[in-house]
Amino acid sequence: MSENWLLKVQDLSVHFHSPRGVVHAVDNVSFEIKPGETLALVGETGCGKSVTARSILRLVPEPPGEYASGKILLSQDQDQSIEILSAPIKAVRAIRGERISMIFQDPGKALNPALTIGRQLAEVFGEHRMDMILENAGIEPDKASRADKMIAQQRASFLQIRLFSLLRSKKGKALQKSIDDAVARALADTGIPNPRKIMNSYPHELSGGMKQRVMIAQALACDPDLLIADEPTTALDVTIQARILELIQEMQKRRGMAVLYITHDLSLVREFADRVAVMYAGRIVETGPAVDVLASPQHPYTQGLLGAIPHRRTPRGQLAAIPGSVPQLVSPPAQCHFASRCKWAAEACKSVVPLLNSTETSRKVACLRFDTAEKLSVDIGDMPARAEMGEVAAE
Amino acid sequence: MSSVSKQNKKSQQEKSRTTALSVKWARRREVALEVLRNPLTVIGLVIIFLFLMMAAFAPLLVEPNQPDPYQSPRDWSNIDAAPGVAGHILGTDSTGGDVLYGIIWGSRLSLQLSLTVVLFTLIFGTIVGSIAAMRGGKLDNLLMRIVDVFLSIPELIFALAIAAVLGPDFSNIILALAAVFWVKYARIIRGEIIRVKQADYVAAAKVLGDSQWNIYRKDVLPNAATPLIVQATLDMGNVVLIGATLSFIGLAQAGLTEWGALVSNGQSGLLAGEWWVSTFAGLAIVLWALAFNLVGDGLRDVLDPKTEGR
Repeated sequence: MSENWLLKVQDLSVHFHSPRGVVHAVDNVSFEIKPGETLALVGETGCGKSVTARSILRLVPEPPGEYASGKILLSQDQDQSIEILSAPIKAVRAIRGERISMIFQDPGKALNPALTIGRQLAEVFGEHRMDMILENAGIEPDKASRADKMIAQQRASFLQIRLFSLLRSKKGKALQKSIDDAVARALADTGIPNPRKIMNSYPHELSGGMKQRVMIAQALACDPDLLIADEPTTALDVTIQARILELIQEMQKRRGMAVLYITHDLSLVREFADRVAVMYAGRIVETGPAVDVLASPQHPYTQGLLGAIPHRRTPRGQLAAIPGSVPQLVSPPAQCHFASRCKWAAEACKSVVPLLNSTETSRKVACLRFDTAEKLSVDIGDMPARAEMGEVAAE
Repeated sequence: MSSVSKQNKKSQQEKSRTTALSVKWARRREVALEVLRNPLTVIGLVIIFLFLMMAAFAPLLVEPNQPDPYQSPRDWSNIDAAPGVAGHILGTDSTGGDVLYGIIWGSRLSLQLSLTVVLFTLIFGTIVGSIAAMRGGKLDNLLMRIVDVFLSIPELIFALAIAAVLGPDFSNIILALAAVFWVKYARIIRGEIIRVKQADYVAAAKVLGDSQWNIYRKDVLPNAATPLIVQATLDMGNVVLIGATLSFIGLAQAGLTEWGALVSNGQSGLLAGEWWVSTFAGLAIVLWALAFNLVGDGLRDVLDPKTEGR
């Protein structure tokens, strides 16, 4: 591949039509993800990071949503790429799960409460991995008859028609075993103890961490090239957050997939992300290697974010905050959205939309005055590490 | 995985599979026990069971009338006989029809009526409501306005109008009720599907590349069906109530062993002190409706615990 990228988002704008006007949820966002890389999209609630992530899978409901402009390119074999926003829905469906997968914020809500864990996963394998199931049952996929496939499909389906099950053919048994094995292996892969027992449990019988592991097993069932993790640990106890993130990292290394973290947790960024993109009010304001951005943030917003994290040396009662609040995104004016809260704002900031400009190699910032802005240097060793935070919470 | 390790694991797997099966059955038993904990539900179930037995063994309980068993045999020598007279345990009506015979064979008609109507309306309503909710937009609007039109007319009056137009026949009562009852199911399932569609697990299924149909059958319907089950159980009773009303007015064939028609037959004798015809037939209707209502309420308490303490 000449250009080494897996996913490229170009000038993506997503609008929502509401009774009060057009909400510019995502505004000219561009970034790329390289194969195997970890990118973190950071920002506060409502800054458009989730909408950006969902756009990649074309999951934004239309209407009220609208992809106003931009392209999302996913590289394929032989220097080819597919544009997700204009592709036929069938092609998009083929990408979902197979090439790009996603895990959600609250695992308690992202599993079907009416099906056992085993059935939910079996459905995924029946849908995407029929060849593997047939092969493991001793049937060559190319030579499989329609009946074989139907039996396998039926075995993987949650609606087990009893009549079929009564015909206990050898093949049916082999297929059932093949499916069960695939599910058990996927669960065991994510570190779930006793997967055969978990398979027969319903989601409500599992703990949050366990459910998130099941979610990960389900999302990774088809070996995707990119995993989107939308705040994967927000709904979990602090003590298991680190373990889930380590699990994702381990799976990433083993499979060589890229991960896009959507998060507002900067300590997660520091430990798990290669690169970071900071979003504010629908725009990316700063990107660069995670270590560099966290060590010497260049955009005043990033500086404010990092300044708001309590440090060991921060005296009691002096927690910094960014003054003002996030602007309304209904028909926003053409200006720097951060200008009203920025202490270095000049007149120009209120009439020009700042573009992302390279400042150093591989770093970009969207600020007219980043040269003048006082550099805030954060001692990176000062930030509490995740493990420490876990200990603190456990105490 | 090598074949050796597979064999080693085999016994372990067999073991876990049998425990899995027993776990499944244990869970079902749990739900059943939960339902049975409510004594009212148990009473309802017992009454329903007795009615079913009555319908199933009707020919053994009383000799079927020839040629049409759904017409009471006429004992012209014992008109308006009081209960207990000459082998008529529950008495006879003004045309010599045996009341017990009418009630026993009438249970078959009630079962036929309620099962046909509930099954048809459940399926048809679910299809219409599902299409509306899954497709959304203009189609949803159109279908729901049609439902609104149906809902704007009271059930009983609407069914009465249809049955009257079609003419006095028991099968017309079934048709009329089916035409009226489906809208409720369409409404309920549409609301439930719209609620379930917001769930993250539906989004998760989309992320995995599932088709609309797959999402519907796997994620949406199983999580939206509970209120339908409860409503269907309640309607098993309601349908018979309204059906009896229609045949009471005379929209079934004359002389049919239908409970509503029996009540109607006995009505003229009430003032003359011949209370038994209307009372026993009416009691059958009440018991039937009551039983299904008790079970329906019990099911709702177990399946939908949020409405507890009403």
